[in-house]
Amino acid sequence: MPGLEPTGAHTTEANKRRAFDRLSALGTALTEQPVSLYAAAALRIGYGLFYLVFLLTEFSHRDEIWGPGSPWTPSLANQLFEQTGWASILTLSDNRVYFEACYVGAILTSALFMFGWRTRVTSILFAIVVGSFHARAVYMTDGGDNLVILMAIYLVFTACGRRWSLDARRNRLRARPDAASGWVLARQTLTTVLHNCAMFIIAAQICILYGAAGFYKVHGETWGNGTALHYVLNQELFRPWPTLSSFVDSLPLLVAVVCYMTVLLQVAFPFVLFSRIKYPVLAMMLGMHLGIAVLMGLPLFSAAMIIADAVFLPDRFYRFVADTWQQSRTANWLVRRRSQIRWHKVPRQLMRPPRESVETPATQPSDDSAIAGK
Amino acid sequence: MSTQREETAPRTADLASTGGVQQAEPPQFLNAVMGIAVAVCVVVSLVHIALVFLHVAPPNEITKRYGAQIDAWVNPFFEQNWRLFAPDPETATRQISVRTRTTKDGVAKVSDWFDLSAVDYAAIENNPFPSHTNHNMLRRAWVAYLETHGNDDQPHSERAMMIQQYLRNIAVQRLTAHRRAPFEAIQLRVITKPIARPAEVGNSRPAPRPVADVRLLPWWAVSNDS
Repeated sequence: MPGLEPTGAHTTEANKRRAFDRLSALGTALTEQPVSLYAAAALRIGYGLFYLVFLLTEFSHRDEIWGPGSPWTPSLANQLFEQTGWASILTLSDNRVYFEACYVGAILTSALFMFGWRTRVTSILFAIVVGSFHARAVYMTDGGDNLVILMAIYLVFTACGRRWSLDARRNRLRARPDAASGWVLARQTLTTVLHNCAMFIIAAQICILYGAAGFYKVHGETWGNGTALHYVLNQELFRPWPTLSSFVDSLPLLVAVVCYMTVLLQVAFPFVLFSRIKYPVLAMMLGMHLGIAVLMGLPLFSAAMIIADAVFLPDRFYRFVADTWQQSRTANWLVRRRSQIRWHKVPRQLMRPPRESVETPATQPSDDSAIAGK
Repeated sequence: MSTQREETAPRTADLASTGGVQQAEPPQFLNAVMGIAVAVCVVVSLVHIALVFLHVAPPNEITKRYGAQIDAWVNPFFEQNWRLFAPDPETATRQISVRTRTTKDGVAKVSDWFDLSAVDYAAIENNPFPSHTNHNMLRRAWVAYLETHGNDDQPHSERAMMIQQYLRNIAVQRLTAHRRAPFEAIQLRVITKPIARPAEVGNSRPAPRPVADVRLLPWWAVSNDS
């Protein structure tokens, strides 16, 4: 049937073109649109705050964990570095004053990273701090610390300072001329590509984390017969509230359900991310980690995992949260100030809550046109 | 117009135009360099994810052949340790105690046991924010000791020596924080008590009481300066 041949050739041609279009659209997105800038900012704030809280809560144990007085002595640490290839700024000197200076420096770096001040440089410093503290006390770490060091490294490559940061505020206040030379464009493209690749790696890393944790458990006999939680609840190291643990342990049906749900959630996690089911699954993950935080006394471990899950929330969710927060803040401010405000003197425009205040640039074009109109 | 679009719009326009009037055209070689850079980023990302995946995957044909290369990439900076409570949570609790020996006038005197684990348990109970020193220090040191020594208490590797020294330092530090008396050597005792299996449904008889295992480590000399 010769009549069909051109049509066939035509469709393959069209298919080829469509595939090519899609590929080039993907390429454009990769090089020109930084994805999930709000999620990146959420990770930056989350892990900056995490490390700040970690360093402050372990303040009284700092020498025992990272200092020259640790049972894992500086010479043991250096010996291990020779074997593993790690390094740490903390073992450069056994001097007590040097250690205290590093500690203060680490606290400051975490705070600056959280606030997004000169984010690219600060993020490199933050990764060095987290890496140094992690490596110095590697026999003191758990899965939470492991996740934080990975995220600190990956975040260096993201544009995590573009939103909700001091950098963003500075850029907003400073009107900068858009001198787009070839080099500037090249730099922008490179930043965007790095950001997109790093965000993709972060998402994939979390999938690997949950997938691995789930698959390891599938092999376990106690997860299979639904009694794993019973043994966890009876570990004296992981029962800060013995009465609560004993109570949960006395409900064998609940214990079995939680065991199966844990394994199912973890194994399923990578596969639900591309559908709407991800929202209930993320909510259940949140519940699971809150449970671990309270029941097993692992708040930092849980926090590290919860912050990581935040990467899967879309930007429109973060904008909604920011808007709501801004509005409620304005409302609170009005309530507090109500007694002091002379209402007849307030211009009508100011009484409306500033809806667009999060995305300030959004109002700029209209302002400009208003000025131009005059 | 959102901030994001504001950032990307001039770029798209510039890249699309062939004869930019106000804005400089990116030099040809720069375009080529950028293309390579983008490709490198993408390839490195994909390879990284693949290697991390293979590193955590169970042993297979690929890891049998390329295990060394995979480990060299992943360790130490991309360490993957997701085995909390997996494949099974520990089904036993451990009580680690220490006693000391002093020699006076040629007569050795051995102290009674001091419970090192009890220090952790006491610090964790009713504490919403337990320290890493209580959760991980002794627990991971002992796990590392088991991994490097096995059932025999002779250190056969450099790492085993290091872990032994670490365990000894932990014991000495905790002991000196609670007891002031000087000593020459210490000995550790580890009692592993299996956790009772949950009572079976419909069976009112309690599960049989598990038997504890006692492991006595050799005496370790402690120098006065450490």
